[in-house]
Amino acid sequence: MAKKTAAKTPYTQEAHVIGPRDVEFDWSDVPLHYIPGEPFATQFWNIMHLAIPLGEKMMAGCLAEALPYIEDPRLREEAVGFIGQESMHAASHESYHEHLAAEGIDIEPVVRNLETLLQVFLGDHQLKGRAKEVWLKERLAFFAAAEHFTAVVGQWMLEAEAWDEVGMHPMMKDLLRWHGAEEVEHRNVLFDVYQHVDGSYSRRVRMSVVASLGLFASWMITADYLMRQDPTSRWWKPWPVQMLNSVRKRLLPGPWFFVGELPSYLRPGFHPSQMGSLDAAIAYLATSPAARAAEQR
Amino acid sequence: MVSAGVVRGDTPLPDDRVAHPAVRAGLAVAEVYKRVVTGPLEPMLARSRPVRRTGFEREVVVAEITPVADDVVSLTLRCPGGGELTAWQPGSHLDVVLPSGRQRQYSLCGDPSDRRSYRIAVRRLADGGGGSREIHDDLEVGDVITIRGPRNAFRLAEASAYFFVAGGIGITPILPMVQAAEASGRPWTLVYTGRSRASMPFLDGLATLRGGALDVRPDDECGIPDLDEILADVPRGHAVYVCGPPAMLDTARTRLAAPDFEVHSERFSAPPVIGGEAFDVELRRSGVTIPVAADQSVLAAVRDQVPDLAYSCQQGFCGTCVVKVVDGDVEHRDRALLDSEREDSMLICVSRCSGPLVLDL
Repeated sequence: MAKKTAAKTPYTQEAHVIGPRDVEFDWSDVPLHYIPGEPFATQFWNIMHLAIPLGEKMMAGCLAEALPYIEDPRLREEAVGFIGQESMHAASHESYHEHLAAEGIDIEPVVRNLETLLQVFLGDHQLKGRAKEVWLKERLAFFAAAEHFTAVVGQWMLEAEAWDEVGMHPMMKDLLRWHGAEEVEHRNVLFDVYQHVDGSYSRRVRMSVVASLGLFASWMITADYLMRQDPTSRWWKPWPVQMLNSVRKRLLPGPWFFVGELPSYLRPGFHPSQMGSLDAAIAYLATSPAARAAEQR
Repeated sequence: MVSAGVVRGDTPLPDDRVAHPAVRAGLAVAEVYKRVVTGPLEPMLARSRPVRRTGFEREVVVAEITPVADDVVSLTLRCPGGGELTAWQPGSHLDVVLPSGRQRQYSLCGDPSDRRSYRIAVRRLADGGGGSREIHDDLEVGDVITIRGPRNAFRLAEASAYFFVAGGIGITPILPMVQAAEASGRPWTLVYTGRSRASMPFLDGLATLRGGALDVRPDDECGIPDLDEILADVPRGHAVYVCGPPAMLDTARTRLAAPDFEVHSERFSAPPVIGGEAFDVELRRSGVTIPVAADQSVLAAVRDQVPDLAYSCQQGFCGTCVVKVVDGDVEHRDRALLDSEREDSMLICVSRCSGPLVLDL
């Protein structure tokens, strides 16, 4: 897939080692509303538990499909580490499904619909030859954009002091921040793989628009579904109002960031490393109960 | 629901007839999009401009070899024609490929602002695999060796104060960290243990630093260090960085529990295969049979045959390398698969087989 005319530039900065951590989470004493008194904020983060497992496994599968086209040994190492981190994210969020179902939320329809949407839209469709290669590039462009959003949310989570102030359950807080920190850690990988395999700017633009609108729409539709099942749900307390309140209390980022982040991602010359230091992520991982326990396994 | 591993091209698709009408409508639009972008108009819709990077793997010349303590030499490495090397930060390391083909990892212990040379320090290990002996006995100034990196698995993150603990040659990644803390004016403490002063490198340089507290504890003067006692003094809010023997790391991680203490240690790659026996693996779809050596994983044996094989942790927990087993008496060594999944699948990074194995690859 490589063009012979590919521009070669030397690496100027060291590589950051990316590797999966052998984490485990115990949900037994986590209440339905793990952000106390905040049903909407809780359900908003529950969407991650539902959408992430399949989304990240698909991303890992897509990247594995791209491995034969990655000639750069450094990028290959990063891609291999990325695949494992995403698999651990998938497994960890999935481990919460049973608990959520036991709390009375019927997650099956959401999971089934998200699964259909993601797997049919972003599957490899058994294409052959050139169409197969082009479709791989399209999917890499989609996931590279999606990874920009997860890196932004990851950074946001590391700085979400409001979570500590309202007494969010520590196990869930650790899952989300561990995940967020690893998203920051590996933020450059899919972008660099996309640039390595294809790098077309027009494809990056259109797939990032697809990703941002698609993520925004699925997030809002799923939030609506979950809120209708929430035991605190009342017609005189519409969730969009609760959402604005939660955003104001800094318990979640304004979901419009899915669109608001596009201009910076689409700036020519953008690279994820410009998003700031990795230090907050690295420092968090050194205090995360789950990541620290993984070191002793 | 798909459980372990990744979703691949051959994973069966869900039945979209049972999906919500909005999902079906979205998929209909997506299908049109896919046909257009993969169709004959594709060259007009996207112009590939791949970006390629170089310099991760390169040859360097050994410019200096200097003894820095008993049985420890420092090596200075430079580009053969001069020129700048890739920048690094404290905690970074290199893969060093020696003339014999042996490959070892060493922490960078020089000055990160010197962009024209790297420095590593190597202790001679009498009972090691021969890499350190080759460096001590055979390597000469002017030799050309291959390096990969630098790569950081022990990054020094911004903190208000630091507490460093180094045991023996574990001082190598810590030294540039202490110097960085000194330069940034942050308070630091270094506890440095070793057999004797003569065996501990970089003591002179460390003694010139004035911004922190240096606590040198050679065994022959202070006795075997009591880590529990040393770590009892770590103040809350100090970021702790530890490099030394495994027992030292274990004590530090247990004693300074999360989330109250921030403890950093270097992340290492996959451990070697222990207690394995050789066997053959047949890749049914590829139609080849490959031998797996006693000290080799199935993954390592088949990786070259199957270029898009997904794998990652190589320690049996991430579940990425799950493969369907056609036949064979599999000895499962992973901790990711459910018993039901083990009936027809295995993680090829750690699990093995007594007798011939047939995989759906």
